[in-house]
Amino acid sequence: MRSGSPVYRRGAALALLVVVLIALPSVVPAFFINFVMTQTLMLGLAAATIVFLAKYGGMVSLAQFLLFGVAGFMYGNAALEAGSRGLNLGWHPWAAVAFALAVTTAAAFLLGALASRTTGLYYLMLTLVYAVIGYFVFAQITEISGPSGITSIKRPELLAAPVSLYYTALGLSVLAYLGFRALGRTAFGLALQGMRDDPVRMASLGFNVPLHRTLAFTLGGFVAGLGGLVNVWWNGQIDPASIGIGPTLILLIIAVIGGVSYFEGAWLGAFVYVAMSTYLRDLPLIDRIGITEARFNTVIGAIVLLIMVLSPQGLAGIADRLRRRPTRPRRPAAGSADETEAAIRRAQLIDE
Amino acid sequence: MTSKRRPLPAAEPGTAGLVPVVQVRAVKVAFGGLLALRGIDLDVEQGERLAILGPNGAGKTTLFNVIAGDITPTSGTVAVKGVDCTRLPSRRRPRLGVARTYQKARTFEGLSVTDNVYLALAGHYRRQRVPWRSAVDRRLRDEAGRVVASVWLGDHRDTPAGALAHGQKRQLELGMAIATDPDVLMLDEPASGLSRGEREHLVELLDALAESVTVLLIEHDMDVAFRVARRVVVMADGEIVAAGAPEQVRADPKVHEIYLGSEGRS
Repeated sequence: MRSGSPVYRRGAALALLVVVLIALPSVVPAFFINFVMTQTLMLGLAAATIVFLAKYGGMVSLAQFLLFGVAGFMYGNAALEAGSRGLNLGWHPWAAVAFALAVTTAAAFLLGALASRTTGLYYLMLTLVYAVIGYFVFAQITEISGPSGITSIKRPELLAAPVSLYYTALGLSVLAYLGFRALGRTAFGLALQGMRDDPVRMASLGFNVPLHRTLAFTLGGFVAGLGGLVNVWWNGQIDPASIGIGPTLILLIIAVIGGVSYFEGAWLGAFVYVAMSTYLRDLPLIDRIGITEARFNTVIGAIVLLIMVLSPQGLAGIADRLRRRPTRPRRPAAGSADETEAAIRRAQLIDE
Repeated sequence: MTSKRRPLPAAEPGTAGLVPVVQVRAVKVAFGGLLALRGIDLDVEQGERLAILGPNGAGKTTLFNVIAGDITPTSGTVAVKGVDCTRLPSRRRPRLGVARTYQKARTFEGLSVTDNVYLALAGHYRRQRVPWRSAVDRRLRDEAGRVVASVWLGDHRDTPAGALAHGQKRQLELGMAIATDPDVLMLDEPASGLSRGEREHLVELLDALAESVTVLLIEHDMDVAFRVARRVVVMADGEIVAAGAPEQVRADPKVHEIYLGSEGRS
């Protein structure tokens, strides 16, 4: 049917965007790449896991930033040879990567299994509890972190150049975006969407709903862990405060700004957030109207409110609507043929 | 290829020595203090077309839920094809060849009509957790397309189920239930809310099912029930009060009493 052309257009747009992003470091200042864009991509990657779970599974998770942090802490513990905190296992960086991802995935499996029988508000609350517990685990167990966290974490030599982190985050983001979208059309992904709509029916069709939800959460945790690794390489350190309630909520806000039902929205929201937090203070006269660093959250809040009022589907929702607009005149034309046909049929029925 | 996975015994329905397809023994279900089922015994032979009638609150749907595994009975046993499945979760029942529809159409609103049927097939052919698409999925998808056409939804393959009209949702539910070639097909008020033309469709569809398929039907529409069913069971207050051939039950004074006394639909 005609649905082929929007698919191609979307693919072409994505390919063009990726080409632009690959070429970007040779065009724009290094600060924009290494600070704004790298952060955008890794936060977007983590936010995309919120979108994945919410969009397909109807599970709004507040534990994604915790898993993002678990990967970072585990990498720090395994990779560091000496330091005041952590296990200082001194492993090879790539062994530490494997370890961090394994622990994150296992933690996600356990936490996901515990939450797999809850839905809706309870899922949100339970994952919030995970986030809080996670914070205290790393804040209080000094063997693996302690309140001041793990510092001077080195990244693998392969990624020594700052721009390589940008490319890593870009590659992972593209893979996650394509992977999540493709998964939505497989048996696993369709079943997850079925469970979002009616879990009881899915069970009577032969699906193990709790296991399915657990596996989805595990996958989300794994991908969040990938983002967490980029984060810890980028930051060079990690402490419990960086995975506390504040950052946890910011990740949710990023997903909401972008639009929770669009994967694009995760990165869009992350870009808006990072750009605002980076450039707001540089705007001319901004402090004259009372917006100072301390009031940053107020500005973010106001912007979230504005977006929610304008488009409950977030920025990606606005973009989607704008994109659909030019094609609209064509649709009634195609539809009207059907309508005419139906009208003729109705007329014939009346005649009879 | 996808159908006929297990050869069905060529035995006549009700052949002596054959285990009943569905065997319900002394099933009681209590919801708190309320006894929804007060000891039900029911045997259903292979290929039988059984209608369960009764006023609202008689326990028909509860009995369905017990047989389909959505409710574990408080006491008593349920066996399908001779396998005791009293405590088997509902997700294991499709493997026994049980498929059902619900009183209120339960479709996956956000998914297309074809995807709804595809999920029924994926659940049956153990592809629940396959995270890629292969040739098998293409075949299942083709099969889903055929099923969708067979329930007269061919023009709505890509329509989200949530956008279907009520009657179309019922057709889709039926499609999801028959897609897997079940041995036991359980339909909970399939005709409710359907127009007359749609009811004709439904009866036609049920008539077209293979002889070997056992059909259990809850129905308020007597016309549909008596046209489809060869045997009728009447329930009231969690008990079976009458059973037999349609004419027999229609003439039963007890049945009249129940229906007249309950101000229910007749």
